[in-house]
Amino acid sequence: MSQSLSPECTPLKKVYDSCFNSWFEGYLEPAIAASTKPEQRTEYAKRKAEEFQANCGKVWEQYKACVQGAVKEKGLDQLLEQAREENPLMEPTPPSK
Amino acid sequence: MRFFSQSYLYDDSWSIVTLAFFLRYPNPYAAHVLSCDVISRDCTPSGTLVTKRLILKQGNLPRWFPKGIVSRAESWVIEESEVDPYGQVVRCTTRNLDHVKVMQVEESVKFAQTTDGKTLQHTEGRVFSRFGWGLTKKIENHGLNKFKANLQRSREGVSVVLSLLRQSRLQPMTLGAGVETPHELSPSVIEGPLSASGSDQHDAQASTSWQRLKSWFQPPSSSASS
Repeated sequence: MSQSLSPECTPLKKVYDSCFNSWFEGYLEPAIAASTKPEQRTEYAKRKAEEFQANCGKVWEQYKACVQGAVKEKGLDQLLEQAREENPLMEPTPPSK
Repeated sequence: MRFFSQSYLYDDSWSIVTLAFFLRYPNPYAAHVLSCDVISRDCTPSGTLVTKRLILKQGNLPRWFPKGIVSRAESWVIEESEVDPYGQVVRCTTRNLDHVKVMQVEESVKFAQTTDGKTLQHTEGRVFSRFGWGLTKKIENHGLNKFKANLQRSREGVSVVLSLLRQSRLQPMTLGAGVETPHELSPSVIEGPLSASGSDQHDAQASTSWQRLKSWFQPPSSSASS
């Protein structure tokens, strides 16, 4: 796994990446048929999301906080903001605060 | 603006190609990737996974490029992806955030499962420059040629990771602590010693390819401290 943009976040990044990758491998092969009804799929997807939260949620929050701090420190948040304004349609729905 | 597109067929299934694509840094073909961070990641209500990664890449300015305009040949790149494991499609867009007036490169990649269980990768690249000074066209042509060359390298990088994954899936589960050295990956890209005598217990009960592959990317010495 590659480095974080800030050396102090790299240990957290490695723990997070490792946790995510284990979850992701299972996520890529859903244990339900493609023909499954939408409700069942939503239910399954929700369970998968909860599984991630239970396994990796804590380290994700720590890693995210670390990177967000480093992004601000390096002034990259302005660069990201600028990019967002230029390309508003590509922005996924922001998480509710 | 210059445009380029290309398709490529992987013999492997979509899920393993997608996993390799997300695991592709580091690999011997991506020494220019200095850092890679997930800055946001959300499971959508429809079950897809939306990720934004911020990547720092080392670039090289062509010799003919005027001195003193771009202070450092590094570039911040944003990668936005959406994974749909039900429809078996990944879409991923990458573009540089700085030096955009000199040159903006935008890449869109799509990986989709074919009916015969293979994976079709379709890549589109757009290069545009607003530099002026009679250099716009030269810059765009240069950018496009680099894009084509990088695409080839990036695919080779994914293939290396892919073969590692394939090998790890063939290995018996009891292997756990140590992964044999595959020939394709040069040791120089590995961040530490590969011998994993003091591995964490997690590896001992490895059940996924990733678990078995983990010591490659993350030697036990670095994970022990966390």
